[in-house]
Amino acid sequence: MLDEAKAILKGLGTTFKALAAPRDTYPYPEKRREYSPRYRGKHMLAKDEEGHELCVGCGLCEAVCPAHAIRVVAAEAPGDQPVSWTNRYSVDYEVDLIRCIFCGMCEEACPTNAVRLTPFNELAAYDRQSMIADKQELLHPAIRK
Amino acid sequence: MIRLTIDGQEIEVREGTMIADAAARLGIDIPVYCYHEALGPLGACRMCLVQVEKMPKLATACTTAVAEGMVVHTTGPQVDKGRKGVLEFLLINHPLDCPVCDKGGECFLQDYTFRYGPPQGRFQEPKIQKVKDGPISDLILIDQERCVLCQRCVRFMDEYVGEPELLLEGRGVETVVTTVEGRPAQSQFAGNVIDLCPVGALLAAPYHHKARPWNIEREESVCTLCPVGCTTLTTGRDGRIVRVEGRPVVDRNWGWLCDRGRFGFDFATHPSRLVNSRLHGREEAAARTTREIGQWLREVVAQEGGEAIAVVMGGLHTTEEAHQVYRFATEVLGTRRLVVSRDVPGYVPRGLNGTFEDLSAADAVILVGTDPYESAPVLHLRLRERLKNRRAPLTLMGVAPRNLSRSTLPVETLVTHVGQEADVLAAALKEAAGDHPAVAALLSQGAGIARGIDPTQVSQLSRVLREAERLVVVWDGVEPDVEHVLAALAQARQGQTTRVLPTFGPSNWRGFERAGFDARFDALTRVLEDARDGKIRMLILWGADLLKDYPDRRLVEQAYERVEWLLAEGVFVPEGAEHFDAVVPGAAPGEVYGTYVNMEARLQIASPSVNPPGQARPTKSYLTAWAHALGKPFVVDEEWDPYDDASGDLLPEEPLPQDIEAIRAPDLPEGGVELLVSAQVWANGIPSQILEARLEAAQIARISPLDADALGIREVGVIRVESAEGVLELPVRVDEHLTPGRLLVPLGVGALPVNRLRPGVVKVQRLEEVQTP
Repeated sequence: MLDEAKAILKGLGTTFKALAAPRDTYPYPEKRREYSPRYRGKHMLAKDEEGHELCVGCGLCEAVCPAHAIRVVAAEAPGDQPVSWTNRYSVDYEVDLIRCIFCGMCEEACPTNAVRLTPFNELAAYDRQSMIADKQELLHPAIRK
Repeated sequence: MIRLTIDGQEIEVREGTMIADAAARLGIDIPVYCYHEALGPLGACRMCLVQVEKMPKLATACTTAVAEGMVVHTTGPQVDKGRKGVLEFLLINHPLDCPVCDKGGECFLQDYTFRYGPPQGRFQEPKIQKVKDGPISDLILIDQERCVLCQRCVRFMDEYVGEPELLLEGRGVETVVTTVEGRPAQSQFAGNVIDLCPVGALLAAPYHHKARPWNIEREESVCTLCPVGCTTLTTGRDGRIVRVEGRPVVDRNWGWLCDRGRFGFDFATHPSRLVNSRLHGREEAAARTTREIGQWLREVVAQEGGEAIAVVMGGLHTTEEAHQVYRFATEVLGTRRLVVSRDVPGYVPRGLNGTFEDLSAADAVILVGTDPYESAPVLHLRLRERLKNRRAPLTLMGVAPRNLSRSTLPVETLVTHVGQEADVLAAALKEAAGDHPAVAALLSQGAGIARGIDPTQVSQLSRVLREAERLVVVWDGVEPDVEHVLAALAQARQGQTTRVLPTFGPSNWRGFERAGFDARFDALTRVLEDARDGKIRMLILWGADLLKDYPDRRLVEQAYERVEWLLAEGVFVPEGAEHFDAVVPGAAPGEVYGTYVNMEARLQIASPSVNPPGQARPTKSYLTAWAHALGKPFVVDEEWDPYDDASGDLLPEEPLPQDIEAIRAPDLPEGGVELLVSAQVWANGIPSQILEARLEAAQIARISPLDADALGIREVGVIRVESAEGVLELPVRVDEHLTPGRLLVPLGVGALPVNRLRPGVVKVQRLEEVQTP
């Protein structure tokens, strides 16, 4: 009889101790965690000060990607309207965010520092198709709320 | 023989060998830019520095000939330092724009810099800016900043091709490769400089910024646009072929291509490509068309048996596809009327067929009717290479109805009348070996008179026929009697070699023959005559376009009208579409695996790099479906192998033809202009968007300046050509190389239906003059 009561009190003691302890969870999405600036989230394609795309469509990110998540199609810029800072640019740039393992090797391989991994990590969608980020999406990176 | 040691390994090589070649024999890789075996040593790039004991300084391996007892080191601190220095200098003005360079990933400058180069250059000053992506021609771009001035391109065009269209301009670091006076390079061999360039300076314009080496399918293939059958590498990207490169084969070819083959790969994606089935002239679902054709086949076979069906094989099909058709026709349909589409009547028996090795070893070459520059461009390069070999002189003669000589390949031509080549050759043979029984049999009908031909020229030709140890005849097949002369020639020259290289098409006709088809022109004519006479109910054209190709258009029209069912398979809609009950789309080269047999009777494997577009299917899909409709088992035999164990990649040898047929002296035309046909790769009817302008310029009849003057045509005009068979209107261009009195018309061009007339004398009249732009 006494032993049982002891056990109950011990258990409750643990419970009350935990109630007072600091929390491990976050009340997401009302409150968000602070990430390191080097956090590797969703990709973006950067532009230079004049608004020209940095990506020249060299395809090194495509080559280095261990998950085969990137597809690049390059082309020559139409004569009078340069798209990137040189006469070659990427017509198509797609990242399959389901395949991507966020290793950051694309960022590392990029000779023009065009593809960068932002800390944005809110990657959810209702279907797989919308998890493929196209060029326009990557040129306008989402900002974390 | 000279003995030397390279990196501790001893080797014995011939005197005069360069260290680089000796090292290559041992499998030791010496980096090099400027040296190319076909072009010889130059020593411009200094990349191949090696250390030779007892030499005070490093030596260039590509220009230093071996010497007895030489000890060479291709590695070591001194060599490494030398190469580092050379690369540092080469990179001083290099823009290092590898990410935007098409060569990036397959570039020797990249590779060697990684392997031998310095990690950092010490040059801090601004780099010299030069032309980027400037045109060499509409098909070739040059980036002068990337150039390392190895001069391969300049030397290739100047020494090898003989059309010096590229040159070095400027001095020192300002030196650039450019075209003569800025004029675009027009040579049909200019595309080879793209393959030759070890860096990203010379690039293919159609491939510019299209792909990178790691996201392409690069497959070994064979060019099918002419019977030379050059070995190629095709590059596929996203289901389209985007590039064709030459593929060198060790000890056999250097991988040269002509621009027609290098840039004409886009016919498979041309807007006129057949991608949908057509039933009675309307587009129809593939399944329905196939089913419908199956019904017709069943009906014909049930009512009259398979012999009422004839199959004409043609086009760009592989040997394997031809064999599938052969098996289907013999086993399922039960017909023996299997022939090959032909555009000229000549035929070369396998026993006479020579190889390119024979050509390299020949001491005399006779061109009969054909101008290799037009009909087999890479053969022209081979002849030039052979002619350049000063150690063994070559006699080069021509027997043709026009002068075959060119500035790049002087040919002593015996200009005959149209249809007189066989007679002139026979006359020379009579003089050379008139008492040989084979020659006597050949001449028994009175041929060999060579009327109107200078007898000294005939004697000269006969001397070549008699004295040449190794003779190669290159023949265009236009004048069929030449076959019998060649057979008699080979017999009369017992003990000496006589080989023939046929330049006529279809490019894989020998492969079709290997697969079981009758490639003789007479067999095709018999089938067409039977069709005209109502003995054939169904005519199946597998890739063939008879109305365009067959020399007698009227016979084809009559046959088309008479047969009940007319089917075609092909990459394009054949001419006379209104005649066809059904046309089904087939797979083009580069879309199926298979072998092609070239003019040497050599089998060459081609692997696909893309899939057929739209509803186009490989041959076996159709055959299997139709066999099913006929209720007969038909399993496509993937195991069938065109190769023969004994003869390797050549088709099995056959003995020389023994029966010599007598030929007659031709009735010679009197005066007037003579109509002359010739197969030309730039006017062979296969479309290309990349080459559109050049193809258009080539698809025109040609007339000599003298005749043009008489007609009042300045550069381009339209003429009316009249003969006993009919009247034809042809656009013509003045060709200053053409022999007066000849009108040259390319074969196989839909817009120039020369098969309405017969070669020979025609009446020519000017219609109008077209303004030249």
